Amino acid sequence: MVEQFAALIIVAPLIASLIVPLIGWRQKRLCYPWVVAVLVVPFICSLGVLNTVLTTGKFSYRLGGWAPPWGIEYAIDHLNAFVLVIVTFISLIIAVYSKKSVEKELAEEKIAPFYTLFLLLVTGLLGIVITGDVFNLFVFLEISSLSCYALIAIGEEGAPTAAFNYVILGTIAACFYLLGVGYLYIATGSLNMADLANILPSMYHSKVILVAFAFFTVSLAIKGGLFPLHTWLPDAYYTAPSVVSALIASLMTKVSAYVMIRVMFTVFQPHFSVDIVPVLPILGWMAVFAILFGGIKALAQTDLKRMLVYIVVAEVGYIIIGVSVANRMGLTGAILHIMNDAVMVACLFLIVGAIFYKTGTRDINKLHYLNKKMPFTMAAFTITALSMVGIPPACGFFSKWYLILGTIEAGQWVYAAALLCSSLINAVLFFRVIECAYLKPLNPVNAHTGETHMIQRDEAPLTMLAPIVIMAALVILLGMFSGNIISSIIQFAVPASF
Amino acid sequence: MLDYVISKYNFWIYVILMMIGLYAMIGKRNLIKKLIGMNIFQSAVILFYVSISVKAGATVPILSGHSYGHGELIEVAKYLNPLPHVLMLTAIVVSIATTGVALATLILIYRRYNTLEEDEILKIRRDTGV
Amino acid sequence: MKLVALITVFMTGALLIYGVEDMPGWGDPNSPASSHVSPRYIQEAMEKTATPNMVSAVLADYRSYDTLGETAVIFTAGIACILMLRKKRKGEGE
Repeated sequence: MVEQFAALIIVAPLIASLIVPLIGWRQKRLCYPWVVAVLVVPFICSLGVLNTVLTTGKFSYRLGGWAPPWGIEYAIDHLNAFVLVIVTFISLIIAVYSKKSVEKELAEEKIAPFYTLFLLLVTGLLGIVITGDVFNLFVFLEISSLSCYALIAIGEEGAPTAAFNYVILGTIAACFYLLGVGYLYIATGSLNMADLANILPSMYHSKVILVAFAFFTVSLAIKGGLFPLHTWLPDAYYTAPSVVSALIASLMTKVSAYVMIRVMFTVFQPHFSVDIVPVLPILGWMAVFAILFGGIKALAQTDLKRMLVYIVVAEVGYIIIGVSVANRMGLTGAILHIMNDAVMVACLFLIVGAIFYKTGTRDINKLHYLNKKMPFTMAAFTITALSMVGIPPACGFFSKWYLILGTIEAGQWVYAAALLCSSLINAVLFFRVIECAYLKPLNPVNAHTGETHMIQRDEAPLTMLAPIVIMAALVILLGMFSGNIISSIIQFAVPASF
Repeated sequence: MLDYVISKYNFWIYVILMMIGLYAMIGKRNLIKKLIGMNIFQSAVILFYVSISVKAGATVPILSGHSYGHGELIEVAKYLNPLPHVLMLTAIVVSIATTGVALATLILIYRRYNTLEEDEILKIRRDTGV
Repeated sequence: MKLVALITVFMTGALLIYGVEDMPGWGDPNSPASSHVSPRYIQEAMEKTATPNMVSAVLADYRSYDTLGETAVIFTAGIACILMLRKKRKGEGE
């Protein structure tokens, strides 16, 4: 029975997405409850799958009953199941949040296709995470990319051009990935990850394999928005509608990071990725530049959302640093940061969406008195900001702690310095926002009459506020329980040879 | 050397096609030309895969009438490798879908800026201060 | 800009050519691609799926999940075009 849960994770949102246009054709109002209700299913299923993995170890699900190298299988282990829970949970929360924001930012006739693509994007991301077949991963990568292009293109001014740039770079990434798969196939004759992992060690010095590895790395670096290849990311994430920004900023780059870990340490053995190809130091330095570049660009912004977008660029660097030091501490930090960063970034983007919904502005200098107008939202913002800076007990501290321990263990002091430096930059960034929102005279004085008047509380609607508060609470909870999460899940998710 | 080139000429041709496509995607300033480059790139990948499946002297992977159901062992070397063909059927569909979505974004861009030259779009955006 | 593009393109091309050196020759029936997974499709497709066309057998049976994804891609593209291009016609009320 539990094995079927694995299939349901993909099938439920896929089938539901087919039904959304039909619902939208009759009753547009019903699209939203349908999407929320449907997204509960994969969340529960992924919890079931995680539970199975924790109790009985990894398992595989054969699609159509064909044995693995010939058919396609879901190969589910700790890493997989963990990322599945993150993706399903965050997409559920964002779906709950979407109602008001979508109604405000999109024309009415676009609501049904919007929710269809929302579900397809989630399907694609889940399909990428769950599959055990390298070509199948490409197919789901394309489902998520295509829906992502369209969802970005309907955003505000400049969105179509940003989306087109993303189409071009995204397609280059997808084709590079496909070339990598082709090179692996021509050398081994197999497409199954587990089978490849068995065959590859005997041919690690073949040039075909080296080239395949190089193409995988470049492709995933483009998809993940790693520094010199991130050029599509800021515009695309900035111009997209609030809900879409929250979804893709928190999940797309994390899923790419997951695939990178999967390719480097499951398909190829860590021995190959670390000792034979010189790719990890290159990635590490790219990540250092990503962190510094993202931080400095973020400092230069006055628009809250654009600032967050550059923070996303920096955050990708965190995860990649954890991957590139290639030791147990670093990878623990990287995997923990996939979760923490997804939660924090989603929370921040949801808050910015709520502020934009209520005040119509995202300019940092126009946020005065926001602590009076939107006390809960700003409280959530403060909590998440402290977490981004890395103050315990918020969750951001713990992943950063493990990442820094990992870099020190590897003797990479520059990486450690970059991580610490980024904390300082984040502190400046977020303090600037908090200062504008909190530290102004309590009641504005009317210049003409000299009277003061009270700021009315004008909080975001419940469907927006509840997800924000839940995410902010999670930021604290995940921090408090991060020891348990590491000891029960992540330590098994890190490849055993470390 | 010449023998080496000829024995793998399929790879040389696909690499050249791929380079043309990639250059058009990142070097050209006209958005339609970028899109055409994207199609050339995808076709190159498809040709690469299809050329993997070739076996000298083999035929299409369809069993002919007389070898049906007689229980005799089918000679593997007589038929092409069917798997890359299957993969490429999927990849062709994906490439068409991508082209479609890209064209739709181009229509949006054209509606907004009345041009598909990247430089002119940038100029318009700079002038309007966005 | 053009120069950067050219350098990138030639680097990519050189990398691909570099990999070609260790590849099996064109049409080699003993290459790994033709001898690891695919022989089973050729030998068993008729028996297991009753389809003389092996490409169909693999497409719609062994790897049918890929084909499901492929149809989902088409659906995605269709809905994406509707989402981007649809405009409410004048006078069309709710």
